[in-house]
Amino acid sequence: MENRIYKHLKKDILVEFRNRSAVNISFAFAGITTIAVSLASGGIRLDANIQSILFWIIIFFSGMSGLAHTFIREEEERTALFLAIHSIPEEVYISKLLFNLVFFIFIALVVSPLYIFFMHAIPVHFTHFCLTVLFGSIAIASVSTILGAIVSKAENRGTLFTVISFPLMLPVLWIAIMNTTASLEPGAAPGFQSILFLLAFSGVIISASYLSFKFIWME
Amino acid sequence: MKALRFIFYILLVVMMPVVFYMALVWVPPAMGLGDASRILYFHVPVAWSSVLAFLAAGYYSVRYLAKEDYRYELYAWNAAFTGLVYSTLTVVTGSIWAHISWNIWWNWDPRETSAVILLLIYIAYISLYSSLKERPGRGKISAVYLIIAAVVMPFLVFIIPRIYWSLHPDMIFNTKNKFDMESSMRITLFTSMGVFTLLYFFIINLMNRTAVLEKKIQEKIHDN
Amino acid sequence: MDNLLIHAENVSARFGNVTVFKNISFRLETGSSMAITGPNGSGKSTLLQIVAGLQRTVSGTVTRRVNDAEITVENFSAHAGYTGPLVNPYDMLTAAENLAFTVKDSAAKERVIHLLDYFDLYKERNKIVKHFSSGMKQRLKLIHAFINDPVIIMLDEPGSNLDSTGKDKLFAKIEELKAGRIVIIASNEQDEINLCGERVELGKQNI
Repeated sequence: MENRIYKHLKKDILVEFRNRSAVNISFAFAGITTIAVSLASGGIRLDANIQSILFWIIIFFSGMSGLAHTFIREEEERTALFLAIHSIPEEVYISKLLFNLVFFIFIALVVSPLYIFFMHAIPVHFTHFCLTVLFGSIAIASVSTILGAIVSKAENRGTLFTVISFPLMLPVLWIAIMNTTASLEPGAAPGFQSILFLLAFSGVIISASYLSFKFIWME
Repeated sequence: MKALRFIFYILLVVMMPVVFYMALVWVPPAMGLGDASRILYFHVPVAWSSVLAFLAAGYYSVRYLAKEDYRYELYAWNAAFTGLVYSTLTVVTGSIWAHISWNIWWNWDPRETSAVILLLIYIAYISLYSSLKERPGRGKISAVYLIIAAVVMPFLVFIIPRIYWSLHPDMIFNTKNKFDMESSMRITLFTSMGVFTLLYFFIINLMNRTAVLEKKIQEKIHDN
Repeated sequence: MDNLLIHAENVSARFGNVTVFKNISFRLETGSSMAITGPNGSGKSTLLQIVAGLQRTVSGTVTRRVNDAEITVENFSAHAGYTGPLVNPYDMLTAAENLAFTVKDSAAKERVIHLLDYFDLYKERNKIVKHFSSGMKQRLKLIHAFINDPVIIMLDEPGSNLDSTGKDKLFAKIEELKAGRIVIIASNEQDEINLCGERVELGKQNI
């Protein structure tokens, strides 16, 4: 099966790379928003809490457009049935999940240095900051994958995705923002409890999605 | 079955006025908060009902995925709808209680936030169900959404309030001492919770039976 | 030769509250071929998808067996080939890349080359599908249906967009493959219907 998953990933990367629309837009959004926010704040160093909130808002919205796209594209270009015929649901889920994980971590990697540079948001507890960004990204990507699959089968995909993803993303954003604030502020090093929370959250979502994916995929 | 339902019905008709009497008249007002504190006896049961609705919706969804019986699809939708109503009531009564106790209408307290998120999940479920129009896979896809949401809920309801300090009185999982309430308040609260639980099951049972009948009638019409 | 069976019993399909067709039954065994015909909108594609297991049926059952083992989602593409208007390969990949993605065993390379050559696509195999003509796309879709040497072949309007050479080649291929397999075609074209032994007619009389 690993071979098949590799084939799926390769196919997705090739299609995305040749098409380039979604990936480009996400990265462009990330860059432009960071610069816009920095410009608007007039070079003043903002409060750690606000910096953290803005940071996650930028990452979140940069990723949103791209993450659901992996499944929506299959429906829009009518390749979904073709894909369903030639593969098993588990393969499809894992390959899309991996794609989304890589994609979102990439977005985070692009946004983070830009943000730190433009917003003077230097993390005091660097490891903690990195881990929060990493596990927060993984959690967001995990939720978006299964929800992208759900939304691809419906009408009004854009707005619907926002509606159904918001309640489930909220715990992740909440914890991630609090953690990032703590890592930006000087003082005692924050505990790793919340990072474990993010990891546990991702694990649970991925397991539940893996088991229930076939009910969405095969009508 | 019918006899059981009848007993339930009688119990409800008798006990609900009793609960109202106990909550509004019999029980003494809470210290320092006055008569307005009586909303507690409705806020807690209503919040509990919204959780019941969630459990019911989750149960029906899993049953539907396990065996594709069209009835469970209807039941899950009913549970979500009642959940929506009850969680709205929870948020409203909670807000009133917050204003009474701490003089602010809303605080984004972790417990309050969990209640709002539950409300959002119900709204999302119903939006999703409508967006899927008449697709054959509609029930299954909505069921999966609810199951994913159900899996997220423990994180919200149990873990986050533990990690972060909350203004919210921690009634249920108070391990140190039982309840800091007089016995009459305790009795009223528990009776109220019991009766509201009965009410919930009565409502959902009625809605479920009606939904199945409606579906059967619709099918008969279209077959002719 | 495999022992094949497709048995549909009282299959019905509904779209919302409208019944598309009701109580369709048939039984196909090794070597049989069937055409599904009917006016537009009578549910030919739907029935074929239900038989293929790609869509749920409101009532009734479909049994699919290869040598007494049920065909499942996992081994579907190994045993069955399906193509139709709603099945589209990836536009942004080349024909060869699409085929590399769908081929099940890497030892089937010769079969891939043979099919590409047979349907006159060998020279265009490294061209992106977006730049294919509709006839070329249809031929590629047919290749995908035959690629894993399936024992059950289901084709939805296979001759659409094909010129006469293409059609002749398709019909010859189907005739060649009929023995030892089950072939089901959903179509309104007389020459495609004539390829098959049995017929199921959908339309007003089934509602």
